[in-house]
Amino acid sequence: MTDTDVAAPAPTAAAPQPEESRTALKRAALLLLRGRTLVVLVVLVIIFSSISSEYLTQSNLILMTKHVAINAILAIGVTFVILTGGIDLSVGSIAGLSSMVAGGLLFKGLNVPGGTVFFSVAVVILIGIVVGALVGAVNGLLITRFKVAPFIATLGMLYVARGAAQLHSNGGTYPDLAGTEARGNTGFSFIGVDSLLGIPVAVWIMVVVAAVAIVVTTRTPFGKHIFAVGGNERAAVLSGIRVNRVKIAVYVISGACAALAGLLLTSELGAAYPDTATTYELNAIAAAVLGGTALSGGRGTIIGTVMGAFVIGFLSDGLVLVGVSTFWQSVVKGAVIIFAVITEQAQQRLQSSLTRHTA
Amino acid sequence: MAEILEARHISKNYGGVRALKDVTFTAYRGQVNVLVGENGAGKSTLMKILSGSEQPTSGEIVLEGETVQLGSPRAAQALGIGIIHQELSLFPNLSIAENLFAGRELRKGGRFVDAAGQRRRAREVLERLGQDRLDPDTLVGDLPIGQQQLVEIGRVLLEDVRVLIMDEPTSALSNHEVDVLFEVMGDLRRDDVTVIYISHKLDEFRRIGDWVTVFRDGRLVAHESMSKTDTGWIVRQMVGRDPDSLYVRNSSPVGDVLLEVRGLTVPGTVAVDDVSLSVRAGEVVGIYGLMGAGRTELMETLMGMRRATAGEVFVRGEKEPKSTVQARMAAGLALVPEDRQRDGLVQTMTVRDNILLATIAKLTRGGLLAGPAEQRTARDKVSELAIKIPGLGALVTALSGGNQQKVVLARALLTEPIVLLLDEPTRGVDVGAKSQIAGLMAELAARGFGVLFISSELAEVMAMADRVLVMARGRITAEFTAENVTEEALVTASASESALEASA
Amino acid sequence: MKYLPSRRAFLAVGAATVMALAACGGGDDEGGSSSGGASAPAASKLVVIITPSPDNVFFKAEQDAAAAQAKSLGYETLVLSHDDDPTKQSQQFDTAISRKAAAIILDNAGADASVTAIQRAKDADIPTFLIDREINKTGVAVAQIVSNNAQGAGLGGQEFAKLMENKGEYAELLGKPTDTNAGVRSKGYHGILDQFPDLKMVAQQSANWDQAEALQKTQTILQAHPNIKGIIAGNDTMALGAYAAVQASNKKDIVVVGFDGSPDVVSSIQKKAIKATVLQPASKIAQMAVDQADAYLKAGGKTDQPEKQSIDCVLVNADNAATVKDFAVAGS
Repeated sequence: MTDTDVAAPAPTAAAPQPEESRTALKRAALLLLRGRTLVVLVVLVIIFSSISSEYLTQSNLILMTKHVAINAILAIGVTFVILTGGIDLSVGSIAGLSSMVAGGLLFKGLNVPGGTVFFSVAVVILIGIVVGALVGAVNGLLITRFKVAPFIATLGMLYVARGAAQLHSNGGTYPDLAGTEARGNTGFSFIGVDSLLGIPVAVWIMVVVAAVAIVVTTRTPFGKHIFAVGGNERAAVLSGIRVNRVKIAVYVISGACAALAGLLLTSELGAAYPDTATTYELNAIAAAVLGGTALSGGRGTIIGTVMGAFVIGFLSDGLVLVGVSTFWQSVVKGAVIIFAVITEQAQQRLQSSLTRHTA
Repeated sequence: MAEILEARHISKNYGGVRALKDVTFTAYRGQVNVLVGENGAGKSTLMKILSGSEQPTSGEIVLEGETVQLGSPRAAQALGIGIIHQELSLFPNLSIAENLFAGRELRKGGRFVDAAGQRRRAREVLERLGQDRLDPDTLVGDLPIGQQQLVEIGRVLLEDVRVLIMDEPTSALSNHEVDVLFEVMGDLRRDDVTVIYISHKLDEFRRIGDWVTVFRDGRLVAHESMSKTDTGWIVRQMVGRDPDSLYVRNSSPVGDVLLEVRGLTVPGTVAVDDVSLSVRAGEVVGIYGLMGAGRTELMETLMGMRRATAGEVFVRGEKEPKSTVQARMAAGLALVPEDRQRDGLVQTMTVRDNILLATIAKLTRGGLLAGPAEQRTARDKVSELAIKIPGLGALVTALSGGNQQKVVLARALLTEPIVLLLDEPTRGVDVGAKSQIAGLMAELAARGFGVLFISSELAEVMAMADRVLVMARGRITAEFTAENVTEEALVTASASESALEASA
Repeated sequence: MKYLPSRRAFLAVGAATVMALAACGGGDDEGGSSSGGASAPAASKLVVIITPSPDNVFFKAEQDAAAAQAKSLGYETLVLSHDDDPTKQSQQFDTAISRKAAAIILDNAGADASVTAIQRAKDADIPTFLIDREINKTGVAVAQIVSNNAQGAGLGGQEFAKLMENKGEYAELLGKPTDTNAGVRSKGYHGILDQFPDLKMVAQQSANWDQAEALQKTQTILQAHPNIKGIIAGNDTMALGAYAAVQASNKKDIVVVGFDGSPDVVSSIQKKAIKATVLQPASKIAQMAVDQADAYLKAGGKTDQPEKQSIDCVLVNADNAATVKDFAVAGS
């Protein structure tokens, strides 16, 4: 998709229209609109750093990036789904569920006939992610086999998964996830609290997830199939693409990413509670949309989504840092999202007006 | 013979493209004025100008001797010029009466919709359209497409229309529905309404037209009273040369049977009913039939997109047990669909990605796409099929219709098929591309492919196919060889079952 | 494409998910559902207990105490949770009315938004006993038994000032802005803290009672104000989130004080992590409400208690943390 973006202006370049300096102007505007997420991010950094000298410090940038990581990972998963023309509203709940599953395993272990078993942290994390992936698979099956609209299927799953999270502890919190040496399950704080080379592990994880996602979306047949399904499902079917498999796969990816994000949040907090990540799905979708992912499917980039998550995170933290009240934080965040969608529309219009000239 | 509407020296430029070049067109009062021409010849542009939705770059429009400004569709309507577009613009969720008055509801007390009044007027209009048995409260979505077309006409009749422009109104109609439409047009003509009628279907417009005007490449090339013309003359005017020279005839020797179908049956609103056929290596087989005859459904079933309830498909003598697209593709079938925009192209992707879509999984190294191989494969196909593109990275929507069609064809060929299924391969492409595509089909046959294609154009199917099958109501109703096929026989066979429906 | 094999696959995955959930879930499965019979006769013995989500241990303790007390007095119980949604609460009142409950014990979903529902119950001759949160109208509910948030916040403020040695920068985490208790507590804190000129509040943010949000906001606040010595939070979950941020920032001497007396914070105090909290006697209030409901019903619809009753809170710090259990300090 990245090369699509880069290559798209080619038609205009190939057929230059004389007398039209306006086209050049339009093309410059288009470039600006394409990079709007970056532009917004730069503007935010300039504004906040001029208000507070603490904003543009190394430690604050690292902290904000760490806050971004959780939403970015959620949003990357959701982007896969949106690229196929679907939507996943259940990611916040899946994060909560996997958080509770992992928290329960660490805190009280698994009851089996004959006693209680404790797993190592690595196994717990793996189980947490598998739970998320399975819930995603159920989403995918509902949508492909039972023809439930993605909005409805994942809305239902939003409630089911949240309820399952609450049932898991009967509503309670697992307050201490440190584990004990005797049980061999210490070290859960590594992914959420610790740092490697001065950068939080959570940020490294985000980088790895994003890198893998970029490779998958741009450099694999599966990635092309995702874009094809979202761009024109019927054409994808006719091209022999196993559309249902692609769809199930993206919901599995989304569920696994959501679970990973939930685990990071839980690790950082050192406690698992059933309301973990409530309404985070909206932040994730907002990041994807902000990053230029079209809700109609077929258009978007992982990099854009990550940038979108950065904008939302840097904005929210900046508002807290300079002491803006909660109410205004909501208003500003909403306004930025709406602004982003408006500029997206403007970009589409400009782009089609530029291509029409050459058609 | 009084002129009512005249377009004088009209030119229209879109960016650098000249869509109309100094066109002077006359429509006669109370007559059916037929406009013909290939796609992109400029007839739709002229109609947009006459109905006010586009403004000419130069030239003037004269209505009953007075120069008029048609600044908007509303302005044109106010002067009594109405248009019915090819795509219906109805609300399927509303009733006939509500559709007729959508946007200009009758009022009661200045505020409330006068539903009873609308119903009364709707009944009058339906009566004028010969549809007095239709209840104005019926939902438009529940009507067959032909009656929906009539509702669309009804919308225009509600205004005091003097000139009615119809842009390919019969493209989706059954023969019976076309008959009804023509009766209505006859009535309108008696009511002194002038009809400007755009059509592709030679056999149809010759029945109803009084005057014929031919467009080619943005120019008006001929204008003649219908009675002084014949089909050959019209085609010659349209393409600028003899129709037979347009198409390349396949003349390769015929080999083994590549595709055989026995008793294929698919239920549905448009059904496929007990179809058997075969295609041999080196053979070009055409399927002629009207829209809704089950041709597309047959193709889609062969390609594994629909499930047959009975019947068998053999490729190279082997029975194909699995009816999935993947299985049929692996067996050696490839389909170029009729509706490129809906079934063929992924509009959000580049030319390269569209070409490689079906075979991308083969172009990998270590699980990752091999960029250079992709580029090479796509470039080879582009030059092989002479696809005109601004670049492999350009969005596919930047291409013209003919080149888009070739992109879909390139994708199909990359799957290395042995039988190529082409559903209306020349629909919506210009003359040049049409002739190229015909040439390609012949060439593919010469290379040992089997080719099965659908066409609704008599001239085309007769000129291109070695054998013609006629489909109607889901069945194969006739089969001809290139030697014994005639226009008349094709039309008769294609209507054989529709006629039954008309009398029922 | 869509028949047998796929359905089997779906069932397999579905079953696997259910098993995974069940396997990990384990343990308690009683849940908060009805333990009463399907139909309640005219002389109903059903007490309906409606509280916010038991996600929060505070409300859980409240629910459990009320239900246990009601059962020990021979009542059937129906325990519901309105999740702070007044609409849901109103529907639950309809349920209580249609089941002809004897009494309703309610921790309400909004000081104004709850009035009509309670009135509706009253019109159906079902008395409502409010716990924990008040409503903005008297004469509708039979009793409004609440912990004295203002007094409690005063205690918390005093302890916080003492821990801060009456000077230095601090930050405050507010609860959900629409919740009256958030305001009452903040006001109570400031009633004390604002008397010390050397105590300087450098940041004030709402974390909506949420642990994760408190964590992230505290991290950002610490970033902006590196000299902060203390954080005072409107409830215990936010205090826990704030303490997680403090721990991660390696400034472990920062004073964190919460409000509620939840078991997690109490055990944190015992480990000398969080410094103090204010215990609301949730269990005691819930029991009182049930007792008064019982007395009211037995007296044929009369009560000898005032409608508004305010129960004092108790400060919990390192000195007495060991004696706290289920929102009650031994001996108080």
